[in-house]
Amino acid sequence: MIKLLVPVVLLAALVVGAVLSDGATKPADFTYINGTGTINTLDLQRMSWQPDLRAARMFFEGLTRNDVFTWGYDIVPAIAERWEISGDGRTYTFHLRESAKWSNGQPVVAGDFVYSWRRALLPDIASDYIAFFRLIEGAGGFYDWRVESLAAYEALPDAQRTQDAADALWQETVERFDRTVALKAIDDRTLTMTLTEPTPYWLDMCAFAVFYPVYPDLVSQYERPAPKNGRLDLRQGWTKPDRLVCSGPFMLTEWKFRRSMRAEKNPYYWDRDSIAIDSIEMPAVDEPNAMILAFETGSVDFVTDVTVGYRADMYARKLEFYDENRELYESLKAQGLDAIEIDRRLPDDPRKNIHVFPAFATYWYNFNCLPELPDGRDNPFADPRVRRAFAMAVDKETLVREVKRTGEPVASTIIPPNAIGGYVSPKGLGFDPQGARALLAEAGWPDPSQFPTVEILFNKDAGHDLVAQSVAKDWHRHLGVPTRLQQKELKVYPNDLKKANYMVSRAGWYADYGDPTTFLEINRSTDGNNDRKYNNPVYDDLLDRASTETDSAKRMALLSEAERIIVEEDLPMVPLFHYVTVYLFDPDTISGINPHARAMQNMFLIDVLGDGKGPDTPRAMPILKPALGGATP
Amino acid sequence: MIGMVLRRLAALPVILIVIYTITLTLAWAVPGNPLENPEGRQPPAEVMEKMKRQYNLDSFPRFYVSYLANASGFEYARDWATGQIAHERAQAQDAGLVPPVRPIFDFGPSLHNEDWTVNEIVAGAMPVSITLGALAILIALVIGLTAGVVGAVKPNSIADHATLAVALIGISLPTFVIGTVLLLIFGVWLPILPVGGWGGFKQLVLPSVTLSLPFAAYIARLTRMGMIEALDSDYVRTARAKGLSERSVLLRHALKNAFLPVLSFLGPATALAMTGSFIVERVFTIPGMGQHFINAVQNKDLFLIMGVVLIFATMLILFNLAVDVMYRWVDPRIE
Repeated sequence: MIKLLVPVVLLAALVVGAVLSDGATKPADFTYINGTGTINTLDLQRMSWQPDLRAARMFFEGLTRNDVFTWGYDIVPAIAERWEISGDGRTYTFHLRESAKWSNGQPVVAGDFVYSWRRALLPDIASDYIAFFRLIEGAGGFYDWRVESLAAYEALPDAQRTQDAADALWQETVERFDRTVALKAIDDRTLTMTLTEPTPYWLDMCAFAVFYPVYPDLVSQYERPAPKNGRLDLRQGWTKPDRLVCSGPFMLTEWKFRRSMRAEKNPYYWDRDSIAIDSIEMPAVDEPNAMILAFETGSVDFVTDVTVGYRADMYARKLEFYDENRELYESLKAQGLDAIEIDRRLPDDPRKNIHVFPAFATYWYNFNCLPELPDGRDNPFADPRVRRAFAMAVDKETLVREVKRTGEPVASTIIPPNAIGGYVSPKGLGFDPQGARALLAEAGWPDPSQFPTVEILFNKDAGHDLVAQSVAKDWHRHLGVPTRLQQKELKVYPNDLKKANYMVSRAGWYADYGDPTTFLEINRSTDGNNDRKYNNPVYDDLLDRASTETDSAKRMALLSEAERIIVEEDLPMVPLFHYVTVYLFDPDTISGINPHARAMQNMFLIDVLGDGKGPDTPRAMPILKPALGGATP
Repeated sequence: MIGMVLRRLAALPVILIVIYTITLTLAWAVPGNPLENPEGRQPPAEVMEKMKRQYNLDSFPRFYVSYLANASGFEYARDWATGQIAHERAQAQDAGLVPPVRPIFDFGPSLHNEDWTVNEIVAGAMPVSITLGALAILIALVIGLTAGVVGAVKPNSIADHATLAVALIGISLPTFVIGTVLLLIFGVWLPILPVGGWGGFKQLVLPSVTLSLPFAAYIARLTRMGMIEALDSDYVRTARAKGLSERSVLLRHALKNAFLPVLSFLGPATALAMTGSFIVERVFTIPGMGQHFINAVQNKDLFLIMGVVLIFATMLILFNLAVDVMYRWVDPRIE
């Protein structure tokens, strides 16, 4: 009998052992699910994923930052306490504040920026945002030189590819960077750079996390040229809690893979007194439904991406709640309060915890603009009139009201209107089925049933199928053309887009920075993201002229004209709607989340109301004067 | 017996190589580029090409050989024998660098989660999966044996039918249904247990119970069959005739024999519970091996896929071996 107990005892011992080897976590001041809670990387120069960038702004700081509680996302000093810009708008001189410190107590110096930006400009690192760094004079040449010299190195015979040779190439790379790239640390507290052209959004770029510095003494210990190919061999490890050196309001104290991340206040942060929470916990939750449960049972305070299928119903219940409080709601709105502040002043009710804001992002359908389709047939969409006709035949109002159902604004432009100060959006095309049919006939298709079957390519998740059905139905009903839906996996989908292996395809774009070019560059004939293979010299010329224009108003007018060509004449894409950001948090207990379209949330602004730490008075956006318009819904 | 163990251990590498070859061929055939981030921005094309080269993603034979050499420990053994490892360490120290981490079995970096190696990921997830699986099997044993004995003592009674019905439900209902229902009842309606996550003992309860139910049902049926047979046998009649108490007859004589089929089921069941819990992991947001495997497949993260598969396979083989050894030890009649 005793023998029979052995397996049981073994199993029990296994459980106890495993539990003991695995510590439990203590509750933090603030817990939130950052995307799905999984961070791909904390290596600043390699990130491009929203949740990574959001975490980065908590652990690191750059020269500047956006004041996210202004409607213009105004640039304010961060590690740089002030700066000067030369008259031609090309040379920037930043003065670093003396009190800026790394989490080990060392000062943040100008050389840290030079080191980090050089890192971003190495093909070895493969930064997704390399194009931004190429705006610095000499940077493009440096990058191309490094690519070439790595290729030359790899062509060497085996015997010559030694550690010494690889080290020598690296030495040469560093020297070349210092000599040819117009980025200089004048002294520890002065950083200058010259750009290839005046770039009005450069200060905004400096606030972008990929431009934040890493700690050179740490990172350089993990990067060494490999004799095999001369490239820097990037070893993992420096982003882990016991090693990572941070410059931001928080520092990393725990990171368990796909499980949780924890941040504690950085005692060396220069502006530490403004931080109203001591610790932040970021659990990983993959399942959209589990996120809602975690919030409803009180184990998390904030969900940044509500993606459950029933979110439209949650939003509908919030609208009901507004209806029940219509009078108060309208009067608060008339005062010019922001959406979150309005919620805060309405009666306490769990229905108000879901928050829907228009995002700085647009959902559209691409047309393949090449003369021939991938299978060699003539492409009917090569004719701009055809594209215009198709754009006019989509009933976006119905699509948004009946299919999307989460308050998405209808889009007739690719840049969300009123989101960029000083930029006037073109009107775009409206829904006009009759005009569309006439235009199609004019383009040589009087009998639409003769039109080749329109194939709509989309990836199979996130409700894209429903949108495709709705658009296909519109084109069939209003234009009379035959349509077919084509669904693909997300993994292979981008490849089809890049190769223009489609007729019509779904796409979308989230802005990287607060300037129209973040949306407009992707239609430039030579741009890597021009999946439509759109090519209009007039359009390219407008962008070129804008890039050298120093007068801000004139520049905006040129860009506006460029967008007009896209959304009124050439239509390489049909804008359908602007995305929304859907958050879940209780406005009565959490302050520090802003309702701006650019949806940049900084966790160091969070204040848990009534916890006795920080000011405990809610932070709100400036009052909007209705006459000025603005980005509130 | 030692001969059997040695034979089985000798077969282990052969089986693993077969599994490795099949899995890698299938995973390789999955379309998509593992270095690509579908929703993110892309680095320039020439950089992408270089990166593919660096990870051997441009050639199946090269990937096959290099991964196998690293994962099997061959690379480590060779570098150790030639003094390369000591040399690298000394060199790094001279240059003021952190010496490279060289695990014996090196499953490589994760392609999707750039800051992690597969070894680190597995080291973090393994205790989770083992705890969950082992606890589930323990619960399954307690529930299954009790239900089986109760049913067998009075066959065709209400208690018997009830346990059989519950067992049938346990076997036929998928765990995502059971899990979700338990989660709704205990996590949402009467919120006495957390709805997910990992760390505390409370968070263990729902997932391990959910995972245990199908196994419990199976064990109950095995026990019941074995018990009915045993209770009908001569030695039990003898035991009763000797005047032993009913409890002693049931537990010491009948159950001892009825337990043997359960024991042979326990080997694969334990391995399965520890490796195949991805649905339960998903429902309760548990960071175990199963979740990582699914995510790895979705991201075509070749290094992680192969690492998890090889470790799973090794576990499965070793558990079966352990049970066979135990089986012979418990019942020496078996050859």
